[in-house]
Amino acid sequence: MKDLKHLIYFESLLDNADNELVEQAKKDGKKIIGYTCFHIPEVLLNVDDCVSVRLRAPRTGSVDIATYYMSNYTCEFARALVERAIEGGFQFLDALAGVDACSMMNRFYEHFEMLKCNTNEKCFTTHLDVPYKTEEFSYNQMQKQLEKRLLSRLHETYGVDISDKAIRKAVKEHNEVCKIMTEIGDMRKEDNPVITGYEYHVLNVVTYTCPKYLILPYLKETLEELKKREPDEKPAFRARVGIVGSEIDDPDFTKMIEESGARVVFDRYCFGSTPGREVIELSTKEPALPQIVRHYMNACECARYMADSKVEQRRKTADRLAKEYKADGIIYEQMKYCDFWGFERALVTHVMAEEYGWPILSIDRLYNAKGSGQLRTRFQAFVESLEIKKIQKGGKV
Amino acid sequence: MVISTEILGIKNALAERKELKAKKCSKKGKVKYPNPAFFKAKTNMDWKKQADNLKEVAGIFVEMFKEADHKAFWKLQLDRTKNDLERCALEFKQAREMSPEELKEVFLYGEKTLGKLYRKGDMATVRREWRGLADTAYDFKEWLKIWGMLLGTFSKDLIPALNSTFHYRWMISYFCCIGFLDKNTMGQKGSALRMSHLMTYDIFRYTAENLVFLAKCDEKNGNSHELNKKVVLFDEMTMGQLMGGFPDLLGIPYQLLPVFLVSELDQLTCIPYIDAVESFGLPADTCPVPSSECGALVVDALPHMGTCFLSSSMPCDGSVMASSYMSRRFPDLPVYHLTFPVRYEYEETTADAVEDIKGCIKFVEEQTGAKWNWDTYFEQIKRFNAETAYELQKWEVNKTDYPQIIGPSYELFRKWNYEMDGGADPRIMKTFGKVNDIMMKAYERREEAWVGKMRYRGIVWSCPAHYYANFSNWLANCWGVNVLVEMESLNFTKMLETEDKEEAFMDLARLYERMVMRRHTNGGYHNVVDELWKQVEDWRIDIIIMYQHVACKNMATLQGILDDQARDKNYNMIWIEHDLMDPRTVSRKSMREKVNEYMRTVMKAEPVDATLLDFDDELSM
Repeated sequence: MKDLKHLIYFESLLDNADNELVEQAKKDGKKIIGYTCFHIPEVLLNVDDCVSVRLRAPRTGSVDIATYYMSNYTCEFARALVERAIEGGFQFLDALAGVDACSMMNRFYEHFEMLKCNTNEKCFTTHLDVPYKTEEFSYNQMQKQLEKRLLSRLHETYGVDISDKAIRKAVKEHNEVCKIMTEIGDMRKEDNPVITGYEYHVLNVVTYTCPKYLILPYLKETLEELKKREPDEKPAFRARVGIVGSEIDDPDFTKMIEESGARVVFDRYCFGSTPGREVIELSTKEPALPQIVRHYMNACECARYMADSKVEQRRKTADRLAKEYKADGIIYEQMKYCDFWGFERALVTHVMAEEYGWPILSIDRLYNAKGSGQLRTRFQAFVESLEIKKIQKGGKV
Repeated sequence: MVISTEILGIKNALAERKELKAKKCSKKGKVKYPNPAFFKAKTNMDWKKQADNLKEVAGIFVEMFKEADHKAFWKLQLDRTKNDLERCALEFKQAREMSPEELKEVFLYGEKTLGKLYRKGDMATVRREWRGLADTAYDFKEWLKIWGMLLGTFSKDLIPALNSTFHYRWMISYFCCIGFLDKNTMGQKGSALRMSHLMTYDIFRYTAENLVFLAKCDEKNGNSHELNKKVVLFDEMTMGQLMGGFPDLLGIPYQLLPVFLVSELDQLTCIPYIDAVESFGLPADTCPVPSSECGALVVDALPHMGTCFLSSSMPCDGSVMASSYMSRRFPDLPVYHLTFPVRYEYEETTADAVEDIKGCIKFVEEQTGAKWNWDTYFEQIKRFNAETAYELQKWEVNKTDYPQIIGPSYELFRKWNYEMDGGADPRIMKTFGKVNDIMMKAYERREEAWVGKMRYRGIVWSCPAHYYANFSNWLANCWGVNVLVEMESLNFTKMLETEDKEEAFMDLARLYERMVMRRHTNGGYHNVVDELWKQVEDWRIDIIIMYQHVACKNMATLQGILDDQARDKNYNMIWIEHDLMDPRTVSRKSMREKVNEYMRTVMKAEPVDATLLDFDDELSM
């Protein structure tokens, strides 16, 4: 396929957390709000003149100092963020919107504060308490937390307009991005998609890490380009897979899977698009905030939600996506040392294989996984096993 | 015929006396605990299945017998006997070499070196400790009393209780409970020994009673439909106070006996469960507590019982998803997930926690048909408040120059009472009273809690491993480091509301949010970092025993900050790595070596008992 016009530019935007568009937004007088987790509604971090940046630590090398602080048995993503914060890589932030969802990421927020990694006088960190289940009182709990611990502080510290009108405006812009990403994402359902999993991953991470108003023109142009893009005559992949699991912010991980002969057709992980890039439907009958809370909590597929209904939802979502995107198999992955996904992955791989009949590859991985020869071998073996299954079923390879 | 009538007559007289006593108790408003009806509930054992199981077990024994290297076995027995004889001869020789004063001292006040009680490859000590004439006699009397209590309790429904040993390997480890008692009281004498015995007795009684209930209810075993209707299971990491409002129900911390407590008796018990769940696919870096629970589910080592299960998100991330393994194993068991706010100091979240508690009560009512009873709840909480007052008194005494109540028995009792009993058992109040009397008298006499071994004031912080490794006991006996208090004891001490119902719910939520471990490891770093420095000052601590549980992410993520700040404050802090009930990651010997090195190189200290510096207890419980 012909290269996408802006792909190299998009890739360059992922080289740094404070990329040129973030710098541009800062110059435009925007307040940059960092966050790391789906549990905090991204759209609320884009209210008024705020701009959300989902934090990553691209090009992470050594995490020695963070390891001193957080030991070597803890999430490498959290450690990489601590390391980057200590290096001064998050100095551009005006606030860090943290949630006390998992202990290790929570400690990142705390180290960010304790070690005074940001010297901006007004910069603050929030520690929202987020529920473990989706009961009526849990929605209220989340709403209260957002009002008290996030929105009020934004308003008090920076005079941010947190009115219903301002929130609805943010949703509108957010939905614009989501519509484009959904349309592009749906192209992966085709038998011979015009977009690779890697390209989609790059685009999607860009939408999380760049100011929406600055990235939108590029996204629109890319969508038009994709509509006209001719697929390869013969598909350059031997199997279609989906990824389910914890945080992946490095498109090179997807690239490694695709280099092993698979096409990644859906992305059901943190920083992915399902959930994350669904349009938020708002009614005018009630304020926007409770609707946003419900949207995010209902859509959330984090393994932290422990109620049986949510556990079931996660399995059904993976099954539905695999069917919709015509996947041949599912890769369940987790960031090494992630407790939530550690327990979930071990059990769900059995459930999805035995009850739903999906071929499963189950892996844990480091934050910087792209150089792992071991993983590459496992991906290759998985693709081969999917091919064999197809042959056994009488299909063509 | 005559004899039978006599027996019948005695039986009738006994029954009448019992009935009269029960009537008197009920007139006084006293209720027997646990409800005798629970013991009497009819069982529905499937004898054919039991026979099949016995056949299978017998088959395993036969195979083991066939595969065993009998030559090696008998050689080992011979070697051990020889070794025992040599040891006796040596001890006799040592006694003969002593001066009459020394001999008298040992005879009256006990032996001074304890390392000789351990032998490589043994599961228990080679013999019981000689504590001096009076204390050994007392110890023996208490030993008999415990056996009596255990036999009495198990006799309440002996067959299912004993039959558990043919179903579950963890049940076998309970036969070692006396070894656990000996281990925890090693080196203790006088008042300290008496207090330890009193507290351990209550824990053992609770354990024995609940083991009987587990056996009676288990579908594989007693299968008592009658009792199962009354049983509410709750996660072992969920506190028991909630059940105070359901006096007709039996609340059982489900995994406590098959996994958690038994692992403290015998550190090797859970290894097969950990291996099983890791083979199933669970990463090896997770906390062994939920891992063992899940592993036990994977290999079907937990009883199938109860009307419903109260799961919880407490105390940490590792526990959260463990409940889905439960649902997988027992899909017919309805589950309620109690999920308290993590940032528990945000007062605005307490109302949400109350909603969760109300939801949980409604769930229990729906599942069991029972009704929440405020009177019995308040009655239990009043007792719990009184117990908290006793606890605070202990802390006050231990903060003085003459701490009295220290050691693993106290630590375990505190944890069990706060978390599991929670004022439910009226008999515990008596123990509190007795222990308090002994403690106050000992304090007035300025006794040494560990005679001749009171050198350093210690505090234990982070996830404790001292039961598995008998660590605080060893610290005192070997180095004279006396653990005055541990992190897990320092929980919620507010007197809970016993009149206003809404406020009572708020207090209950606050209590649950501050359960063991969670109180410190959740809600922000200040709860475990700043809090430590405060406690170090309050208790005038010389040495901090900082456990470094390799799989505890909540604590591991603060190790640098703790280290930095301890250095700044010039505190003596000994980091001791461990992996709770998995000694393969860090052995007990390696844990002790950390202390030995620190004491030698940093403190420039000499051990109190050098025979305990290095010994092999790899296989011991």
